[in-house]
Amino acid sequence: VRPRLLIVAAVAAALAGCGGGGATKKAAPLPTITIGTKNFTEQYILGELYAQTLRKAGFRVVLKSDIGSSEIIDKALTAGSLDMYPEYTGVLLSEIAGDRRRSRSGAATYSHAKAFEEKRGFTMLAPTPFSDSNALAVMPAYARKHGLDSISDLKKVPDLRLGALPEFQTRFEGSVGLRSVYGLKRFRFVPLQFTGRYPTLDDRKIDVLAVFTTEGQLSAGRYRVLKDPRNLFAFQNLAPVIRRDLARKYGTRLTGPLDALSRRLTTDAMRRMNAAVDLKGEKPAAVAARFVQSVTSR
Amino acid sequence: MALVGGLMALLLGAAFALLVFAVSKQRDAGKLALRSQEAITAGTELEKTVISLENGLRGYVASGNERQLQPWNAGLKAYGGQVGKLESLVSDVPSQQAQVRGIKSQIDDYVNLWATPLLGLARQRRQVAQSVMITGTGRVRIDQLRNRFARLFSQEQALAVKRERSAEKTSSQAIAAGWGGLVLLVLIAAAASYYLRRSVVRPVLTVADASRKLAEGDMSARVPPVRDDEIGDLARAFNSMADSLEASSDALAERSRELERSNRELEQFASVTSHDLQAPLATISMYAQLLEQRHARELNSGQQLVDGINAATVKARTLIRDLLEYSRAGRGELLNEPVEMKDVAAEALEMLAGPIEHSGGDVTVEELPVILGDVRKLRQVFLNLIGNALKFAEDIPVVRVSAEVQGNTAIFAVADNGIGMDPGQAERIFQPFHRLHGEEEYPGTGIGLAVCERIIEQHGGRIWAQSAPGQGSTFRFTLPVAGRRRPSVASFDGGAGA
Repeated sequence: VRPRLLIVAAVAAALAGCGGGGATKKAAPLPTITIGTKNFTEQYILGELYAQTLRKAGFRVVLKSDIGSSEIIDKALTAGSLDMYPEYTGVLLSEIAGDRRRSRSGAATYSHAKAFEEKRGFTMLAPTPFSDSNALAVMPAYARKHGLDSISDLKKVPDLRLGALPEFQTRFEGSVGLRSVYGLKRFRFVPLQFTGRYPTLDDRKIDVLAVFTTEGQLSAGRYRVLKDPRNLFAFQNLAPVIRRDLARKYGTRLTGPLDALSRRLTTDAMRRMNAAVDLKGEKPAAVAARFVQSVTSR
Repeated sequence: MALVGGLMALLLGAAFALLVFAVSKQRDAGKLALRSQEAITAGTELEKTVISLENGLRGYVASGNERQLQPWNAGLKAYGGQVGKLESLVSDVPSQQAQVRGIKSQIDDYVNLWATPLLGLARQRRQVAQSVMITGTGRVRIDQLRNRFARLFSQEQALAVKRERSAEKTSSQAIAAGWGGLVLLVLIAAAASYYLRRSVVRPVLTVADASRKLAEGDMSARVPPVRDDEIGDLARAFNSMADSLEASSDALAERSRELERSNRELEQFASVTSHDLQAPLATISMYAQLLEQRHARELNSGQQLVDGINAATVKARTLIRDLLEYSRAGRGELLNEPVEMKDVAAEALEMLAGPIEHSGGDVTVEELPVILGDVRKLRQVFLNLIGNALKFAEDIPVVRVSAEVQGNTAIFAVADNGIGMDPGQAERIFQPFHRLHGEEEYPGTGIGLAVCERIIEQHGGRIWAQSAPGQGSTFRFTLPVAGRRRPSVASFDGGAGA
């Protein structure tokens, strides 16, 4: 994978250079790009990552963090209040496009999502390697004790206690899917607040926890994420949704650096950055700056 | 002095300006405090609008009833203008301006990045919008806005208090400075008047003092010309005047001393000469008588010549006697004692009893004052004047002696109804041996009035005649009154010495 990435980066840099030459000839000033993000840690970090990358490429950027869920941020985008925001492909399809079909792969999910955006005047830039999906995690000792490897194995466990955010109970990518797809009918649902989830699992008050795959807590190997062989949880790779006219007008000058960044955002990289903010109390901007530095210096 | 005046005007102006400044500062503070109040009011209005935006939004998302959106629509129209008003009210404080800009951008974000998208969502999928509204950032944004408003208000309040304090401080400082200026002004005025006294009034008083001394005869009086200004010029001018005055006064004194000496010598000469002439004259008279007695028979026609010698001798004797009298009148010790002039006049009349009776005339003496002088010499004056009045009578002589007192001086008058004289002659008649008539007509040598003038002048007075032919004559003379203040006596002494 690495040699290919380098070639892509080199090509992107060359194209960016050409674009720069053309721009100086025309002397067209670069526009101000307004980036929005949703209201949780990963989105704050992503907003900073894309904003700093664009600034390095010479654009001016206004970053509006903390806007809200997909439904809201999509309305802000289509109303023209935003030029771009980082979106998860699966969420985009199910919540914005209203497409509840399960894609077989991350790539397929991305191409459906991109097609949806392009139909209405936007586009999706290159997706990230990471997918911030729903998942179920258990303590490693518990997995060993019950011989757990995938979600299907949970059927063997009696008196299962499942902790999750409240909405999990009514969602298809939640209790509903667990019953219908995996046939997991006998478990007790324990609703949890966002910050109280991992401590509850640590204290053995629950047996299984609904998590998001890029969460910082998962980076240190303290928890075991169960496999999802039947693809109950959708692929949630991330890609910037951006106005198509902007992407066309500034071409690789705009998209090159963003794509180069996105391709470096692996699950591991995202977990570490999330951990730095959520567990070590660092600022999203500082964490993002380190990462952008490591990308551009490569 | 112009400098001091300018400085005082400047200080007065400065003190006044400071007071005006203090007053205007206080007024400005009032305005600013009012402005702060207005800013808080405008901010409160804006905050209410934000709340009504949120309420409208929530009402609509909860119910789906378009009428619930009424406060949202009204708030959407109003908030731009309200922000503008608030901005203009805090335009003079950068930190508050930044605060208002922050509020504005946060309201914009609330409207554009939260409320409007949520409204759009609610129109399509109301239930989703409801769940988003519960978990979403709307409440957080509103809370942040309310915090910002609270901060804005408390800062504006603090600003108003600070403005008021600083205005109070400035104005009390300005008032203090104004008072200070006035006090300084008073001090400078005092210093200026002291300086005036010292540098103008005192030197002028010194010159005045020296002038008085000079006038009193102290020819050595001078002013030290210590300075190089107008006062110094005055002192120098005074000194040079005093110098020339002293020089001329010295010269005058010298001349009058010389005159006195030659006068004395002349009198002595006359006295000695007339005295020495008497002896040979007596011898001539004796020899003429012897010639008449012993050689009467041989004389015959020579008798006429001897008569001529006798007559000439008698005349020469008379002349010499009068000359002696005149010279004696100006010499010798002058008594200076109170003299009852009424008595003196009475003595003179007694001595003139013969001629009065002979003429059949009438001499009246009215009330006369007491004067200071020499009784013997003053009697001579009355004798001569009354004698003349009897002698130069046209008809039966009527003589009236009177006096009036003016201040320290008594003016005596001897008036007659005699032949009178030409007014042009009235001055010359006081010259020695001056006569208006022949000796055959009216006997006498013409020394009487000259003697009178000498005596009166010795007493420090003066004598003059007023007359016209056929109208009679009035002789008046002045004398110092006795028993009055000393200065009259002093001036009398001065007159005697001159």
